[in-house]
Amino acid sequence: MQNPSGEEPETALSVTPPKKWAAGVPAVVHALEYSLEQTSPKKTGVDLLTMNQVGGIDCPGCAWADPAPGRRHRNEYCENGAKHINDEATTRRVTAGFFREHSVSDLAGRSDMWLNQQGRLTEPMIKRPGSDHYEPINWNDALGVLARELKALASPDEAVFYTSGRASNEAAFVLQLFARAFGTNNLPDCSNMCHESSGFALSETLGTGKGTVSLDDLHHADLIFLVGQNPGTNHPRQLSALEEAKRNGGRIVAVNPLPEAGLRRFKNPQKPSGIIGRGTQIADRFLHIKPGGDLALFQALNRLLLEAEDVRPGTVLDHAFIDTHTSGFEEFAAHARTLDWDDVYAATGLTREEIEKVRDEVLRSERVIVCWAMGITQHKHGVPTIREIVNFLMLRGNLGRAGTGVCPVRGHSNVQGDRTMGIWEQMPDTFLDALREEFAFDPPRPHGLDSVNAIKAMREGRIKVFLALAGNFVRAAPDSEVTEEAMRSCRLTAHISTKLNRSHTVCGDTALILPTLGRTERDVQADGEQFVTVENSMSEVHTSQGRLEPASPLLLSEVAILCRLARHTLDGKADIPWETFEGDYGTIRDRISRVVAGFHDYNARVTRPGGFQLPNPVNEGVFPNKVGKALFTCNESVVPRAPKGHLLLQTLRSHDQWNTIPYTNNDRYRGIHGSRQVVLVNPADLTELGLTQGEHVDLVSVWADGTERRAEDFVIVPYPAAKGSAAAYYPETNVLVPLDSVADISNQPTSKGIVVRLEPLRGAR
Amino acid sequence: MATHEDDAGQSVPATPPGTATDGDGVARRRPLRERHVEETVEVAVPVRTAYNQWTQFKSFPRFSSVVLDVEQVRPTVTAWTIGYGPLRRRFAVEILEQDPDAYLAWRDLRQHPSHQGEVEFTPTRSGGTAITVRMYLEPRGAARVLTRSCRATRLTARLVRGELLNFKRFIEGLGQEGGAWRSTIRNGRVQHDHPEPPRSRVAQWPVG
Repeated sequence: MQNPSGEEPETALSVTPPKKWAAGVPAVVHALEYSLEQTSPKKTGVDLLTMNQVGGIDCPGCAWADPAPGRRHRNEYCENGAKHINDEATTRRVTAGFFREHSVSDLAGRSDMWLNQQGRLTEPMIKRPGSDHYEPINWNDALGVLARELKALASPDEAVFYTSGRASNEAAFVLQLFARAFGTNNLPDCSNMCHESSGFALSETLGTGKGTVSLDDLHHADLIFLVGQNPGTNHPRQLSALEEAKRNGGRIVAVNPLPEAGLRRFKNPQKPSGIIGRGTQIADRFLHIKPGGDLALFQALNRLLLEAEDVRPGTVLDHAFIDTHTSGFEEFAAHARTLDWDDVYAATGLTREEIEKVRDEVLRSERVIVCWAMGITQHKHGVPTIREIVNFLMLRGNLGRAGTGVCPVRGHSNVQGDRTMGIWEQMPDTFLDALREEFAFDPPRPHGLDSVNAIKAMREGRIKVFLALAGNFVRAAPDSEVTEEAMRSCRLTAHISTKLNRSHTVCGDTALILPTLGRTERDVQADGEQFVTVENSMSEVHTSQGRLEPASPLLLSEVAILCRLARHTLDGKADIPWETFEGDYGTIRDRISRVVAGFHDYNARVTRPGGFQLPNPVNEGVFPNKVGKALFTCNESVVPRAPKGHLLLQTLRSHDQWNTIPYTNNDRYRGIHGSRQVVLVNPADLTELGLTQGEHVDLVSVWADGTERRAEDFVIVPYPAAKGSAAAYYPETNVLVPLDSVADISNQPTSKGIVVRLEPLRGAR
Repeated sequence: MATHEDDAGQSVPATPPGTATDGDGVARRRPLRERHVEETVEVAVPVRTAYNQWTQFKSFPRFSSVVLDVEQVRPTVTAWTIGYGPLRRRFAVEILEQDPDAYLAWRDLRQHPSHQGEVEFTPTRSGGTAITVRMYLEPRGAARVLTRSCRATRLTARLVRGELLNFKRFIEGLGQEGGAWRSTIRNGRVQHDHPEPPRSRVAQWPVG
């Protein structure tokens, strides 16, 4: 644990064997240990016992759905959620005195972990041009500075408004409304960097960018694929759903370059068998696939299914579904039969026998679900891979029926809701027309900038003002040095934040820190105590309400900050009652109910226990894409290759980390302790590369622009990563991801499958 | 479907051999086989009214003596909590087939269904509706042992009959339905039968 006001601690790397199971008693111990280091036992109790309960706090840790009211545990959270919520509820404070003591340059040299450990921000701060220190400023002046910069722009498109997935529906709606009333669609968000590929692939093929399953589907599926995801660390409560599926007789196929603990076995600490027993085996079959080989795997499975149908006509494919509800089957089938098996072996690293055994699992299963996360979306061919997954599900009619469907597993708790509220740079005219009708102004129609294009525009000097609603943009974005250079080129950067992070230290000429309430805290406005609403990964919309007193009396809510900024900036433009919105969030929800489809009677329905679920067109027999039917697609084969002497790197989180913020230097499931400067490599690759365990290396990425991108001084750890691949922690290795290296179609940065070489630092030990 | 046409072209319920109708309007038949239950009730509302009300699953606790809560997960999936005294049991059900004003078939969602069933709605000559519920029970584990006797099947039949009578009193008392869901389900999948699908009902843009 860090000393909050002390120096960066020196900790030594030690490595132990990877764990073979996730959660159990250690998860409870670690969660409580961290929580009690951060805050009092009373606050810990209030937070944990209201988290994910009806009328309580929605855990900001991830977007996994809650069980129905009445079926929730008294402790309905995971280790990481408990850590995250109490990291926010910390008793540590960052005051004006802290900023007097630490210059911006000093803070820019600190680690992500150290910055986070300093505690909650307490009052607005400004760094003025030419100064190296933040200094206090009152709210009125802070928002006045920001408004003046915005109004002085030659065009509204010189401003960018970034949103992180922590923001509530109300804050997201208000932000996009303000941005559009101001005159721009420059609304990048963290979705651009996590599931953008899912959104594009699913919208094209199924007509909805959202997953189609609910918890009951997972509980009753015959077969669940977990592809490119690590539930034990990134969405631990998914393990409870998988446990239930196993209890009901379901089987699980895990597909991943690393044999993560949570894919192997789950010890549910809420059950005796998870405390003193062996827990539940998760994956019945594990495919140790090479990074980026998933497209080839599903193409191979699809070809095998078509061939099985040839052998036993009428028994394998769901012809009724294909004939009635889909389009493009014939072209797809012809294309699928051309698959080259040698490409499949090269791309996946799997054998024919391994793939055929999975085909047999599929043939035995009436109900199949495929779950995936960033192990799929962050590849250059992420969109084609997801389209191929959709092909796979459609062949046997595994869509729109109970126990079937697509399950993109999202990270930030309201990342899906923010998009639903209109945080997207390419919103369709139907939405913009609804805004115009409701608020009597004409929203801009040209598409705005996503995250990658916003960084490019900043570099080119086309963006002068950057405002972030939550998040840590500088660390979440790729090509760290380029991103930082881009941010520093802005005239003004402003962040609405709860805690200090690197994005506050890499800033424009003028920089503002606008401290805000956290999820755990009471939000009292003119009309009384407020709650906010969020949408989880399964399209369930519900309330979130904190119980703790705010970390500082000077904190404003996200909604209040945005409404006040709008009043400062827009000078009465458009018929928007910002003051009313700030005083009563119910009035925002009333407007949302008239603008966003599916939100009728929003205020009434969301206050029911558990809220309400948005309809999913696929489950209602509707495919509202361009062709009006579920679309089979033909996807070209991709064999990710690294030149001789190189490896395919994937960046990943440690277990003790939330998004860009590590809580400690440990990753206990992978057996890494005391350091994050490690690179995990298959022992056979080490032998071939002439490298040894414990050797210090620089990671150098290879990209077409010839620029050398280097992550310095990493220690080699032999690890059962798929042959030909390596893994290292995010965000430290974001520096290796070129800004131009993006997924086809979705423009999502490719944080997986990066070609790197390991350059030894001779003499360094 | 067990119906026949009368001279006026109106369908009436078939009366299977071995059935009898009591004064309460409930037709009972000896189980066709072990753990098969079939009960019929005639209700004095038009078939459309009876069917529409039946599709309002969330209203079942209003008249049922054992259904405590119903979650409508989506059109084809419902989760039922039933109970008696301190006992509670929750199970999810998938609707496999549904034809407006005529028929509905369901099964327990578990991999090895412990029960499945069907409901038929048939217009009667008097302008009312004959509702027939057929259930096939296949309990697993301890429940299989406990319900091995014919007595268990008879108890289930009595329960179904009681519930049908509760529904009869409910819908006849109301006189009109409190809502309706009138799409078709085939093989567990909703068939949209409107020329214009309800595109405006949800956001269509990509979700990152």
